[in-house]
Amino acid sequence: MTGEPVLEQARRADAGETSVALGAAVSVREFSVTFAGTQRGTHPVHVLDDVTLEVADREFVAILGPSGCGKSTLLRAMGSLLDERATTEGTAQARGATAWMPQRDCLLPWRRAMANAMVGAIAAGVPRERAAARAARLFEDFGLAGFETAWPHQLSGGMRQRLALLRTCLSERPVLLLDEPFGALDPVTRRRMNQWLASMELTDWIGEDSEEPRAVVLVTHDVDEAIALADRIVVLSGRPGRIVWEVTAQHREDKPHQRFDRDQLLAALDH
Amino acid sequence: MTRGRLRATAIGMVTMVALLVVWEFAVQASGLPEFVLPAPSQVAATAVDTAPLLGEHIATTATEAVLGLAVGVFVGWAMAVLIATLPTTGHIAQPMVLLSQTIPTVVLAPLMILWTGYGLASKVILVALTVFFPVLISAAAAIREVDADHADMVAGLGGTRRHQLWLVRLPASIPGALSGLRIAATYAVGAAVVSEYLAGESGLGVFIQRSRKAYAVDQIFVGIVLIAALAGLFVLVIVALRRAVTPWQTAPARL
Repeated sequence: MTGEPVLEQARRADAGETSVALGAAVSVREFSVTFAGTQRGTHPVHVLDDVTLEVADREFVAILGPSGCGKSTLLRAMGSLLDERATTEGTAQARGATAWMPQRDCLLPWRRAMANAMVGAIAAGVPRERAAARAARLFEDFGLAGFETAWPHQLSGGMRQRLALLRTCLSERPVLLLDEPFGALDPVTRRRMNQWLASMELTDWIGEDSEEPRAVVLVTHDVDEAIALADRIVVLSGRPGRIVWEVTAQHREDKPHQRFDRDQLLAALDH
Repeated sequence: MTRGRLRATAIGMVTMVALLVVWEFAVQASGLPEFVLPAPSQVAATAVDTAPLLGEHIATTATEAVLGLAVGVFVGWAMAVLIATLPTTGHIAQPMVLLSQTIPTVVLAPLMILWTGYGLASKVILVALTVFFPVLISAAAAIREVDADHADMVAGLGGTRRHQLWLVRLPASIPGALSGLRIAATYAVGAAVVSEYLAGESGLGVFIQRSRKAYAVDQIFVGIVLIAALAGLFVLVIVALRRAVTPWQTAPARL
């Protein structure tokens, strides 16, 4: 968590003054990360190598890569959440404040569903009344209506994950960073969740009253998840992660569901 | 209560009654003198006879145990939270905490009596010393279990260290502290009684010591039963407290 202040300050400054100059919602430039060995005798691990990437306003970008390729690290870097063991080169920053959603739902067992969702607002400093009103609406949209007073352990895996996403949205931060949001679910539920998420305009939720443009970055190792959700897919190689392929969704009238070439993506993953 | 639990309770009760009957019968059949082993019926009779005396002793021991528990729980819980928040304090406290646990607290009793007198204070300190360790350990474990990922989540949403403390660490520590308290409750009464053995003017420990000097074994048994009942009562209160304070926990998680 040290090293955070510098990035944090840079981020704040950008948000305040140079937002016009910095066109992208998230910009990563020639970014490399090395983790110092945790014990004596272990070698430093080079996780990311010279990654350059921009996420535009209102864009939903999926970062696709094999396990251990550094995609989670890249996501954390975008949120200024890298820990002190990381040595970085280049820059990774978001123009506005970010909200990061971890792989596990991390619901607090002592808070009921609604109170758990409010954690997003509390941590981000969103006024309680405004957040509560939004939360009531979002519980409806997320299919959680009627479960406001349930304890987390009473919810199914899919519901827990949706609640975690709802909590992230309540932070009203313009950039959402999702780390395999449905990775912990069984394949059937995950597919359902992705269909549901794809049917929603996630970029519209983040702060429905705010004028600020919003963007979503999703990290996943699941090709179908990326295809279902993203406007653009960035494929990373195995460790150290480099960008090996980048593809934007095709809007084809004849095949509305085939926005990406799945085989091409799989080939890029095997690169 | 489910049928299974009802049955389990019934079997337990029957076993208890059967043991008391065997004890009663064995004492009467063998003709053991009552200063060696009194029959349960005689212990009951003595309890009724000494009842007017006992109130004060019970009150003293209960006060010592409750105050000691309160101090011990607070110190143990506060240390757990502090150590989780500032790891350096953990490195500072660790040798002292471990050392304090290698010395049985009863061994410290003479010192405490010397320093703080024969009254309430020495006993409260001894009880607190006995209690704080299990509370510290289980509160710290509860925080550790929940901490890293959840604190990360809060930071990822823009939360500060203070948010992490209020939203994650403090609430996580409470159920942990309470399960430590449940274990500590029985120790607490024991510690209070043993420190009364050494010095004191009233309390169940004093009552037992006096009875021993008078060879009133039946009275010793009355004392033992009362101590067990007191510890049992504490456990019941703590279990009820835990149910009230941690309504999200399911029954097995509370054990």
